[in-house]
Amino acid sequence: MKDFKIACGYFWKYLKQYWSAVTIMIVLTLLATFFQVIAPIYMGNAVTALTKYVAQLADPATRTSASMAAFYTALKLMALYFLLNVLAQFIAWMIMSKFNADATNGMRKNLFAKLQRMKIRYFDTHQDGKILSLFTSDIDNIFNALNNAVFEIVSQGALYIGTLIVMFSINVKLALITVASTPFVLVIALIIMSKARKYLDAQQDEISNLNGYVNEQINGEQVILSNGLQQESIAGFKKYNQRVKDTMFKGQFYSGLLFPLMQGLSLLNLAIVIVGGIWLIVADSMNTATGLGLIVMFVQYSQTYFQPLTQLTSIYSMIQLALTGARRLAKVEAQPEEDLVLDGKKQEGLRSEVALNDVHFSYDEGKEILHGIDLSVKKGQMLALVGPTGSGKTTTMNLFNRFYDVDSGSVTFDGVDVRDLTLKSLRSKVGIVLQDSLLFTGTIADNIKYGKPDASDEEMIAAAKQAQIHDFVVGLPDGYATKVSDEQSIFSTGQKQLVSIARTLLSDPDLLILDEATSNVDTVTEEKIQQAMDAVLAGRTSFVIAHRLKTIVNADKIAVLRDGNVIEQGSHAELLAQKGFYYDLYTNQMVLD
Amino acid sequence: MEILKPHLKNYLGAIFGAVISIIVAAGASLLQPRVLQFILDNLLKNDRQAMFNYGMILIALAVIGVIAGILNVYFAARVAQGVTSDLREQTYCKIQTFSLSNIEKFSASTLVVRLINDMNQVLNVVMTTFMQVLRMPIMIIGAFVLGIVTIPRFWWLQVVMFLAVALVIGLTFPQLGKMFDRFQKKLDRSNTIAKEAMQGIRVIKSFNQQKNEEVRFGEVSDEMNALNIKIGYVFSCLLPAFFLVCNVGITAVVYLVGINVENAPSELAAITSYIGYLMQMLFTLAFGGMTMAMYARGFVSLGRIKEVLDTKPDLTFDPNAPEVELDGAVEFDDVSFAYPGAEHETLKNISFKVAPGESIGIIGATGSGKSTLAQLMTRLYDPTSGVVKVGGVDLREVNEGSLRKAVSLVLQKALLFSGKISDNLRQGDRNATTKDFRWAARISQAAEFVERYDDQYEHQVEERSANFSGGQKQRLSITRGVVGKPKVLILDDSTSALDAKSEKRVKEALEKELTQTTTFVIAEKIFSVMDADKIMVLDQGQLVALGSHQELLATSQVYREIYETQRAKDKIEEGEL
Repeated sequence: MKDFKIACGYFWKYLKQYWSAVTIMIVLTLLATFFQVIAPIYMGNAVTALTKYVAQLADPATRTSASMAAFYTALKLMALYFLLNVLAQFIAWMIMSKFNADATNGMRKNLFAKLQRMKIRYFDTHQDGKILSLFTSDIDNIFNALNNAVFEIVSQGALYIGTLIVMFSINVKLALITVASTPFVLVIALIIMSKARKYLDAQQDEISNLNGYVNEQINGEQVILSNGLQQESIAGFKKYNQRVKDTMFKGQFYSGLLFPLMQGLSLLNLAIVIVGGIWLIVADSMNTATGLGLIVMFVQYSQTYFQPLTQLTSIYSMIQLALTGARRLAKVEAQPEEDLVLDGKKQEGLRSEVALNDVHFSYDEGKEILHGIDLSVKKGQMLALVGPTGSGKTTTMNLFNRFYDVDSGSVTFDGVDVRDLTLKSLRSKVGIVLQDSLLFTGTIADNIKYGKPDASDEEMIAAAKQAQIHDFVVGLPDGYATKVSDEQSIFSTGQKQLVSIARTLLSDPDLLILDEATSNVDTVTEEKIQQAMDAVLAGRTSFVIAHRLKTIVNADKIAVLRDGNVIEQGSHAELLAQKGFYYDLYTNQMVLD
Repeated sequence: MEILKPHLKNYLGAIFGAVISIIVAAGASLLQPRVLQFILDNLLKNDRQAMFNYGMILIALAVIGVIAGILNVYFAARVAQGVTSDLREQTYCKIQTFSLSNIEKFSASTLVVRLINDMNQVLNVVMTTFMQVLRMPIMIIGAFVLGIVTIPRFWWLQVVMFLAVALVIGLTFPQLGKMFDRFQKKLDRSNTIAKEAMQGIRVIKSFNQQKNEEVRFGEVSDEMNALNIKIGYVFSCLLPAFFLVCNVGITAVVYLVGINVENAPSELAAITSYIGYLMQMLFTLAFGGMTMAMYARGFVSLGRIKEVLDTKPDLTFDPNAPEVELDGAVEFDDVSFAYPGAEHETLKNISFKVAPGESIGIIGATGSGKSTLAQLMTRLYDPTSGVVKVGGVDLREVNEGSLRKAVSLVLQKALLFSGKISDNLRQGDRNATTKDFRWAARISQAAEFVERYDDQYEHQVEERSANFSGGQKQRLSITRGVVGKPKVLILDDSTSALDAKSEKRVKEALEKELTQTTTFVIAEKIFSVMDADKIMVLDQGQLVALGSHQELLATSQVYREIYETQRAKDKIEEGEL
């Protein structure tokens, strides 16, 4: 129930600004429904009038006075209500299409904007695929439901109530006969729906298991081929495939059952109404004309009465999906955002030093990763961080521009805690070159100018030259205007890294955080990357996760991290003289990662 | 459609059941207005007995309809599940006959999509066929004929109505289809931006570009929205237009019966039933149009699956080749190789002979063709020209089992499969015992961490082997490579994540334990291959030198240069101490 409230709150948030359109739409839908319910009355009246007319004709006494006027009146009114129904529906739908699309657009844009404001922690703890499914599946489900379900709920709900009222006002007994089977129908529908849901969930699980298996096998095909494991692979596949087949059968069966069953029950109810109607006419000794008109009317009403039941059960799953989606989106909207420190100090330029002071940090409460780190680097100097995997190097790098905040202790620029600086000014002064480089869809120029969109072309080219990528880019037919995306492979991994270095060079940060690890690249590119890195490091204050001996040896200071502690600190010569952990690392061919 | 035929044959019983039940169900709903008419007829005549009889028939029809409907779902689901699961299996088996280059041409991810998503589309096609598509002609023709039987003189009205709805569908659906395609493209684009924003969130934040990203996404989102509204408008016209046609039809029927009621008073009782038929016909038609739109998507999927099934494996083993025990001799005779579609040759005129038990180092820069050489020895590819022999047998004529038993390849990228460690090791030798595991894991230096687990070799390998470090993965991968005591072992840069000490230990253990095995070690650093019996130097696809470390230093300019540069680096660094 609480979940339902959250979901409704989410819908309310995005639909309330369209309240006038929503109101008009609802009123029109109610009108359309009203016309839809009214029209059969006049059809019944028309038939009754005709029957009377025929009877009058048959009777010589009334033959001359027989008139079709009543018939024409009824027919005209029927046609009028039909027309009004269609018209009201048309306008309601037009209005709805517009505000539904706009509301969904608002949700989509807000979701994106919200994600931009959220903390890095969220992205580190949630898979990209799952976050993306908010866009690809949840918003989509909501849009579908808004388009189909909302209209249906209003119109079918009104239709249901309207039909009930009209039926009971026309003939209570026959109305009772019509609704008698409803509880029974609802129970059946609910049982089937819960079964269907259960098996559809199971089906989803089995499909994702099969997907996982197939994905792993085909991506590992080289191992399968070179060990001759094809038959084993097929045998494994068959097991998963069989399970998918079995669960999917049940899911399809139960979810497919609902429609024919409801249709059939509607038909059955119709038969009951007719038989009941006949019994009623006989029992109450009604006259034929009235009786015929009554049955013609109730044949329609039985169907319009059942229609909402059928429709609402068939959109039930759609509504479920939309509610789930809304709940998930609402949950994302409730996530904490980064503190922009708008009233903080502006970081102007580094004057003396950057320091970590007794920093404790944990990703998860109770599992401390950094246990009191003290590090500092003077303006214009380079600090190299070395240590085995899991020692806390990358974690440390995340603290300078507040991707994460310390548990205790502080990170300071010239003695000022980073948490007292405006986030924007802090980040504009801290540059990061990461191990995995990423290109955004757009031109090469867009990518290099990413951090400084108003940079001139000269500035961009200068940066590209320093980053050793200029020659390659001008060799392309479209030069800097060449369109790239992360997936498309104009650039190799190494070249992507060069572009990201150019990006950083152009934005000219005070403090540089650099992860030196190069992915698998060929020797030529590796050489270029190293030159580019040297260029970006030159004259800048920097923290480097070092992998190259040269970098380490050239660093002004080396800090050795191990299990979240700084165990040794000093220059290369000093550390070697200590004959400690660093000395071991060094003599062991520098296996740093 | 033809790829479904052989599978459909296996489900003739269920297909028969589905068809019969759909005919019965359709028949039941078709007869219902007719029975209703008889009831009203008898009401006019005041024949109570007949009315009750027909009333009972109506109830019976409804019950039959429900039962037939349920049976239809049952059979349709049986056929659909059976056929798709068989087709999926057939496709998977086909993929397992593929060579590496077949798979690379498709790319692994599209093959997965075809096996899962496309198959689900096919499933929908089959399910829809046996639930709705077969029903449509029965319903449309049945309703049309019964309508004419009910009030014959209105035949023209049915034709006009039919054409009117068909026209509305024919005019709008293709337009809608185009709009949906355009929308899909926009959706893909917005998803790309969203994906990049997730993956690049650190870049975005560190450059303070959140606002610009919002603008970028907002533009696409607005374009999507405009298209959505347009599609919505079309639907807003389409559905009321359809109802308008239906309502005009109903009004026309009542009017036409009315003006002729003097001559044909019996038509009065037929009005409801006639309108029933008219509506059945029109609704089936409209619903059919939408089903067809979905159907089209399914056919695209079928085509994509057919493409896989029609692909000829470009490398097959002779099934009649005799099974023989190959020894560790390896010979390349003037071998050249170009990857399919590539312009230049990756390997050019390579010739060499290696005797059983020798250790060979292969060295050269990235892109010099080292890994390709390994792939030819394991016959993952065939050479473009020339002959590769293992144990004296041309690999084009070798028995697949014999080759797999003799040659073992360990890749740099250590691929482990989820399951147990033992499952992964048995991939190297399916009859291996725990004793064999222990032996092999000692060689690869994996024993030191595996045997620390409580469940040792039964320890679980998680998905993407996330519970192992890079070095552990490589050691397990080497274990898998040696467990079958291969005659030829190829280590393709497969100790790159190991520290120098472990690497050295692995090498020593290999030398000691696998004396009969020909070992190829592919590396970029001379240091890794220095002790080999022979070292091959590859440069841009050519074998430029072959000999021992000392010989090469004396004779090969290229080797000496590589050696000097690699050593020089070390020296400079040492010099700075």
